[in-house]
Amino acid sequence: MHAIADPDGALAQWRDRALDFERAVGRIVLGQERVIRLLTIAVFARGHVLLEGDVGVGKTTLLRALARTIGGSYERVEGTIDLMPADLVYDARVGEDGRPRVDPGPLLRRGPELSVFFFNEINRARPQVHAMLLRLMAERTVSAFGREYVFPFLQVFADRNRVEREETFELPAAARDRFFMEVQVKAPEDFAARRALVFDPRFHDTDLLIAEVPEAIIDYRSLDQVSREIQNTIPASDAIVAYTIALWDAIRTPDKAGIALPGVRMDRLVQGGASPRGMSYLIRAARVRAWLEGRSIIVPEDLRAVFPEVMAHRIFFDPVYEMRREEISADLCRAAFATVPAP
Amino acid sequence: MRWSRSLPAARHCRTAALALFGALLAGAPAHAAGVDLYAPRAFGYLIGDTISLEAVVTLDAGWRLDESALPRPRPVTYWLDLKRLDVKPETAPDGAPRYRLTLTYQTFYSPLEPRALDIPAVPLAARKGDARQTLTIPAWTFVSSPLRELVASQRGNPMALQPDIRPRPYPLAGDAQLAAAAAAVAAASLLAFAAASGWGPFAGRSRPFATALRHMRRLPDLDAQLGYEDALQLLHRAFDEAAGQRLFAEDVPGFLALRPALAGEAEAIDRFFTASRIAFFGDAPETAMALLPPEALIDLARKLAAVERRGGTGQGTRKEAA
Repeated sequence: MHAIADPDGALAQWRDRALDFERAVGRIVLGQERVIRLLTIAVFARGHVLLEGDVGVGKTTLLRALARTIGGSYERVEGTIDLMPADLVYDARVGEDGRPRVDPGPLLRRGPELSVFFFNEINRARPQVHAMLLRLMAERTVSAFGREYVFPFLQVFADRNRVEREETFELPAAARDRFFMEVQVKAPEDFAARRALVFDPRFHDTDLLIAEVPEAIIDYRSLDQVSREIQNTIPASDAIVAYTIALWDAIRTPDKAGIALPGVRMDRLVQGGASPRGMSYLIRAARVRAWLEGRSIIVPEDLRAVFPEVMAHRIFFDPVYEMRREEISADLCRAAFATVPAP
Repeated sequence: MRWSRSLPAARHCRTAALALFGALLAGAPAHAAGVDLYAPRAFGYLIGDTISLEAVVTLDAGWRLDESALPRPRPVTYWLDLKRLDVKPETAPDGAPRYRLTLTYQTFYSPLEPRALDIPAVPLAARKGDARQTLTIPAWTFVSSPLRELVASQRGNPMALQPDIRPRPYPLAGDAQLAAAAAAVAAASLLAFAAASGWGPFAGRSRPFATALRHMRRLPDLDAQLGYEDALQLLHRAFDEAAGQRLFAEDVPGFLALRPALAGEAEAIDRFFTASRIAFFGDAPETAMALLPPEALIDLARKLAAVERRGGTGQGTRKEAA
């Protein structure tokens, strides 16, 4: 296949490093190759990720390993119902001298070097926190102590528990749309991986496990630059443009595209969403995947590989079908790719 | 036909040419113009019967019947209607002009006993230039009879409504045969249509590769870039149909794993998908055509169609693991 138009071979070197990164993370998080691949894509597309999955499937481990390989600082916040934006920005406490002190909170503590910010259980936090997070994700800035703090290398990972729904605040559509990907993390299916995770003592101590991962394989400071280069190097052909638009139409008006799902009224299913921002994210992700696969062109497989994670959470269904969202959106994505002809 | 010229009952009338006419036209031919009346039987008519009189008017050469002087269908008397008048021009064996007039009358006379009635004479006119000649269809007498007895000879009301005449049996065999033939044609057409549309028992196994090959051979410009891309697309659609979904390059190993009969073509199929990628997504159709020339593309389609004919492209060919 085509060689990447990359005269000094910098992108190729970066690709090797990205694959090293995948392998390193894959050694300590077993059976999650797809999730790791998607996170790699997100890292090189500079997009924020919402992880969704069961409890104890390795989401935090994965993110800690990822943060370690990227380098830079890592901060983690637990979402609780009484968490307020000020709790993220400020650390208010009583000092050793007995006087009240206000220090920089988790967000500011690490300064501009903060590269991975992990928001655990984001749906337990209040809408005020969501709003602040929205700004952090969109602009990578926070106002505190009367000035603006900028985080040029920041990538936000959030995690949502999908088991419990009590005492939670559903993320508003605008917040979900700002996430680059929404990745489902499930327990590994592979027998060997499951056996190792359960019986191998190596996987029992997370701290030791993470220490196995080599530090700073990829430099967080260069990621923005690499990401830009990837986006500029890999062109989109007319055929892939036409295919993407056809996919978009199929998702927005599945009934006209001839998609039929059992037990669903297709003309009423999709209420909105599949925003232009979402589609641009899709192409961004597809370009990174093409690059990771060593290709200099986008092919439909790239779109298909990232489509559910990038697009599914941006499609809003009729309330009747919202309760079955997970199943329906997966079917809808699959049906769209099974229906829209390519090339 | 209730009468004919040969019937003995037919009365032959001849009216002589008018003397005045002879005096007026010195150069007239020897034989005189005249009217022959051919009438049906002259008795046994009931109220409502129609009577057809045929008058043959023979004229001298150069003369013609004055159409405006012909009688029009009309009530002639209170009991007699002229229902219809047909005029048929002819030529006599000697070349003279001749007209055959058919006058259809209907009688409404209700006699109490048999009674002779007269159909009045009908005047006609003939012309030759400004010259004019009058002719007459003679009057004709017939006997009309009552429908019923004057005094009832049997018990019962003679005015009572008589039973209807039994309908005449209508021959249906011909129509029944026609209907059967039409039904057979309709059924045959339906079968042909079902076969053409692949309905029901005709559904059978679709042959996407054979279809694609047929369409590819019809492409006029396979060697040109556009034709080549069309051919690639045709084969893609065939793969899509065979796989039951859109088949991408990355899906090919799985597709082939389910279809061991295609293993022999695996390399060519891979090359096809690579070429298609380069052509469509790499925007380099020339490179693709170098990798997989149009002839090789047709060849691949032919081989795939051959495997398909043997049933090797369906998923049913998978050998179950022991």
